[in-house]
Amino acid sequence: MKTLLIFTLTLQAAFAAPKDSLVRVNSTIQTYSPSQPWEKTPPRKRSGLGTLLPDNKILTTAAMAADAIYLELQSADSTKNIPAKVVAIDYEANLALLTPSGEPGFLKDLKVSQPAGPSKPGEVIKILQLEENGDSLATDGTIRSMDLISTFVEGRFFLGYKLKASLQTSGSSFTLPAFKGGKLAGIVTRYNSKDQICDVIAADIVNAFLKDAADGSYAGFPSLGVAASATEDPHFRGWLKLPEDGGGVYLTRVAPGGSADGAGLKKGDVIMSINGLDIDRRGYFKHPDYGTLFWPHLVQGGSATGGEVTVKILREGKSSDVKVTLKKAPAPLVPTYRYDEAPPFLIKGGLVFQELSRAYLQAYGKEWTTRAPLNLLDVLSNPEDYEEGRNRVVVLTRVVATEATIGYDRIRNQIVKTANGKPIADLPSLAAAFAEAPESGIHTIETDAEPFELFLDEKLSNQVDAQFLQRGLPSLKRLYETK
Amino acid sequence: MTFLIKCFLFALTASFLPGQLKPESPLNKPQPTLYDSVVKIEVATQVPDYRTPWNSGRFSGGTGTGFIIGPNQILTNAHVVSDNRRLMVTRRGSSQKHLARVRHIAHDCDLALIELQDFRPFEGLPYLEIGGMPSLESRVSAIGYPVGGERLSVTQGVVSRIDFSSYSHSRADSHLVIQIDAAINPGNSGGPVVQDGKVVGVAFQGNTQADNVGYIIPTPVVKRFLTDVTDGKYDHYMDLGITPFPLFNPAMRRAYKLPANGQGVLVANVVPSGPADGILERGDVLLSIDDNAIDSAGNIRIAGEFVDMNEIVERKFAGDKVAFTLLRDGKEMKKELTLKEFPYSRLYAIQYEKIPRYTFFAGLVFQPLDLNLFATYKFDDRRLRQIFSDYVSKGIFNEMQDIVVLTRIESDQLTSPMKGFQGKVVSKVNGTAIKDLHQFHELLNAPNPPEYHVIEFNGASRPLVIPSAKVPAAQERIMTQVGITKPAHLD
Repeated sequence: MKTLLIFTLTLQAAFAAPKDSLVRVNSTIQTYSPSQPWEKTPPRKRSGLGTLLPDNKILTTAAMAADAIYLELQSADSTKNIPAKVVAIDYEANLALLTPSGEPGFLKDLKVSQPAGPSKPGEVIKILQLEENGDSLATDGTIRSMDLISTFVEGRFFLGYKLKASLQTSGSSFTLPAFKGGKLAGIVTRYNSKDQICDVIAADIVNAFLKDAADGSYAGFPSLGVAASATEDPHFRGWLKLPEDGGGVYLTRVAPGGSADGAGLKKGDVIMSINGLDIDRRGYFKHPDYGTLFWPHLVQGGSATGGEVTVKILREGKSSDVKVTLKKAPAPLVPTYRYDEAPPFLIKGGLVFQELSRAYLQAYGKEWTTRAPLNLLDVLSNPEDYEEGRNRVVVLTRVVATEATIGYDRIRNQIVKTANGKPIADLPSLAAAFAEAPESGIHTIETDAEPFELFLDEKLSNQVDAQFLQRGLPSLKRLYETK
Repeated sequence: MTFLIKCFLFALTASFLPGQLKPESPLNKPQPTLYDSVVKIEVATQVPDYRTPWNSGRFSGGTGTGFIIGPNQILTNAHVVSDNRRLMVTRRGSSQKHLARVRHIAHDCDLALIELQDFRPFEGLPYLEIGGMPSLESRVSAIGYPVGGERLSVTQGVVSRIDFSSYSHSRADSHLVIQIDAAINPGNSGGPVVQDGKVVGVAFQGNTQADNVGYIIPTPVVKRFLTDVTDGKYDHYMDLGITPFPLFNPAMRRAYKLPANGQGVLVANVVPSGPADGILERGDVLLSIDDNAIDSAGNIRIAGEFVDMNEIVERKFAGDKVAFTLLRDGKEMKKELTLKEFPYSRLYAIQYEKIPRYTFFAGLVFQPLDLNLFATYKFDDRRLRQIFSDYVSKGIFNEMQDIVVLTRIESDQLTSPMKGFQGKVVSKVNGTAIKDLHQFHELLNAPNPPEYHVIEFNGASRPLVIPSAKVPAAQERIMTQVGITKPAHLD
């Protein structure tokens, strides 16, 4: 063990010492309570590494910066600290670019790293870790294969390396930079000590992120905005009139407002190739350098938003080329994630309204897919049935027992349809509907479940709301501007 | 959580005599007593297996108790004689077994009336008289043939609670129940519970969470059953088919133009095609039922007792009328509805004496969803669960009498690419919306099939496609392999 350590240290000295560009990133993370969104949960600390790039920019993972209430850069020897802020962040690709909030401080003494070009399977890259005393540890790893991997936001996949390396588990978090020829070649996000395999965000993704962020406004990776399924089933292929040999993926959903929707793609179309690269029946294509990859890389790895791809589709047995102008994926009806954004809520007389999010459902615990309320799970599974007239799904999540909510105590998780006769598209529209109190002095809320209509006394609910504020509730609502 | 005391399979095998008995002389035969009218029922059952609906099911059996209440009328529990293939009745102090059959069975209140093929050997035995409600703290005796011996057993207990509670036999019904502090053991089921020589209940279930607790079916429930069957058939308990919602909230009361007097309950939902459909409406405020004032929680007071308004319906039969005074849009009016059978709600109850329905097509097994099927397969598909729970309340039965589910995919070269559809509800076949299993079966087996059968499922991202030319060979091949003798049972 000791000999190995000395060996790696000498080896690392032979290179242009990329360790000089390493900083520690310490973050304090705090999220909101899913059931009481006016409150925050206890803070947690997270630490990882960042790499100094030109212009005092530090690259790290989004996992380090998401929901951070305080970010700090610390010298390798842990003696100097400076506060930092986020310049650009991509939760889906799991990348974040930080910069000092004030003076660059100890950063002036560091060496600036440059991003490396793309790597291929078989190449060796060097992972750096910091010991407590500030010394760095370098470990070589070989890129075994390349694949689309999800490292932070569930269900979002980006190009990454599967790296075989024997890492020391000392350096707490696995936000570790990897270098090639002294340049930044990727970020290690996960390490499986049993298999000794690391997940590394590929240079292609890092470089696209940096390029996008360079102008100060970050646009994000493009997406086709579709859901697709494999066409391995020969009967299904026969029915679709697909050639017996050959590939293609079947579009099961085209998100309204997305790139594919804009180009006129429809549910039921089969994507045969993108930019001339054929997609097989399981959804893979052969990348000239990287091997077999899953098809979405052809969209998000090829060009930025605003760019164009040529999609060859088969519709009712006829093939055609469609030019698709790329956009970011449209915001889903049920947000997949919500970082650095306080969840909106509205309290009226003890009725608590929230917008349905995946995080809200996940708060039902490990078995949330069966434990969470059926009506809300259905929205997640079949959003197309709820999209009409809605930007978000407003849910009466719970009823706090007050004078105004007598008799309603057991009501929870009902989907709001209208309030005072006005259709509810999101929380701001609910607030607007409540703002105009009806002449009768009674608000009417229509929901999807029994008793289907709830009534709230305007005067009484205002009194109750005033009491809430006196009794420690910081606010009765948190809304946002609607576009 | 109550535990149904099912008769145990061949529970009684050990037999010993506690002490020597003198042979009885036929000359000085004693007068038959009440005990002699309590009989032992041996039952052989055949319970279908919903996983392999084409098979015969499981053969099993057990014992229970019954008692004679009239000429060739033996009362027992429904669960004692459910799914039976053969019933045999034994008199006290005799080993001769007499064949019997079920005359009427009520699964929703766990009661059954059985009759002997030949009643003559039982003639002369006293008929047990059905009495009234025992009072709290009074003593009662449970008579029966529970496990632990061959002979009649009598246990004494005290009436400790009278409550509205669930009847576990159907898993869907609740009626009045008397709790006693004597354990009801397997074999006791169906036996009389007596006080002062009269029946005050029928022993029917125990409790796994508490010791020395037994539950008995009180006489109002027994009498209702006996009255219901006087016309020759059992019609089930009736239901209004509405969901009441308490009117406690002052703003809600004002919105419905009600004074703050604690009276009136809201009709929050009316079951489509139910007995109240077209008579009561969502948003009606019910003020009285059969001239009994309804409070804001939906309770009424009858004969000094404070009970749910449903108690009025509990005592009525199909064809009986229920009168309401109600407030609609601030106007008081009188409405009357006629109670009727509503078979769709039985979806939520375990069914007995039914041969499971299915259709087998090209290696795929389709079955209509009911509680039996749900108890067999733990379905977790969200759309299936949603359709199941909305079936009655949202009137889904109007479009879909059967919820047709793909339950099994048998292994074969034809079915091997068909993944991801198991446990989902069929919505369409070749473009036609599915109404019931029969129509579904007909669509798939139509004389001139399209090149591909296209089966669409609720909430599935793509349809399931079957090349129809390959079906006949596959059907035969798979049926032989799996051992399916009949391709469908549609009823």
